Amino acid sequence: MSLKASEAPEDDDLVRRARKGEELAFSQLVERYQRAAYSVAYSVTGSREDAEDAAQESFLVALQRLDECRNPERFAGWLMTIVRNRSRNLVRRETLRETDQLPSAARSKVPTPDRVAETAELREMLEKALAGLPEVQRQIVLLHDVEGWKHREIAEALELPSGTVRSHLHFARKSLREALGNMPGAPDQERKIQ
Amino acid sequence: MRDEFDLAGRTDEMGRDMELADVLRRLAPEHADPNYWMRFREWVVREAAGELARRRLVAHLTVSDVMSSWARALLPTAALAAALAGIILMRGPEDHLQQMVSVEELLVSDLEGETIPATLGPDTSGPAITFASEIF
Repeated sequence: MSLKASEAPEDDDLVRRARKGEELAFSQLVERYQRAAYSVAYSVTGSREDAEDAAQESFLVALQRLDECRNPERFAGWLMTIVRNRSRNLVRRETLRETDQLPSAARSKVPTPDRVAETAELREMLEKALAGLPEVQRQIVLLHDVEGWKHREIAEALELPSGTVRSHLHFARKSLREALGNMPGAPDQERKIQ
Repeated sequence: MRDEFDLAGRTDEMGRDMELADVLRRLAPEHADPNYWMRFREWVVREAAGELARRRLVAHLTVSDVMSSWARALLPTAALAAALAGIILMRGPEDHLQQMVSVEELLVSDLEGETIPATLGPDTSGPAITFASEIF
């Protein structure tokens, strides 16, 4: 992983120290995986606020269950499983809450200045493009292209064969490029893969 | 497996599609707030303080700590039990025996005739064979 410098402590070392309550070790684990946890949570929830909640909660759950992590050297994969489960639970809870509330047509989002700004518009398009991908492809493209994880690391974290990860990544990129084709600031049309 | 993006030369040395990555980074929270991850981590570590403290406490407990914590609860209880036993013993076993005998005597005092009801006593009226035939 790009975040892991050669002199940085290994995951298993940090996990063992965090088990003993060492705050610095736990903080380093959070620092190392917070972006990946957020990306995976975002891939599942499709919402920035929910992704933040799910990712943060996941770290707290992971700490409580740290003794159940049988392979501390594979902490990342173990953590991502927690993140996925927490995120799915969050989505399930939100869905139940929404069905108890007003019908979707009656709900309206309050327009904010940010929402009408161009950046918000771009973000909305990106969110839509990502939402069009299957969950696993969202996770893979975010972990690989944004967070810089290697195929092997993603395969371990998501419990998928490495070849499957590569294949998902290929299709995710293709779909995203197609969806983002008309977006200002998106990969150049001329260089766009046909 | 090399994909078409690799061939187009748009990936970095790690195989990342840099164009897509640049676009997707706009969704990253730090795009709007550069201190986002610092605050994220601080929040998690702050919320985890209780659990970390509990773990530190457990990790530093030694065998003697465990024994002394047991002793703290066990010693007063044992002392109390010993004191009670001492008081009972000091009262003497005769009092107890006397009391028990007295109670037994009280139960049968003022009763006329036999203290054991005739129905519960050994039946001598009939032959043993009669009793057996009634049973079967």
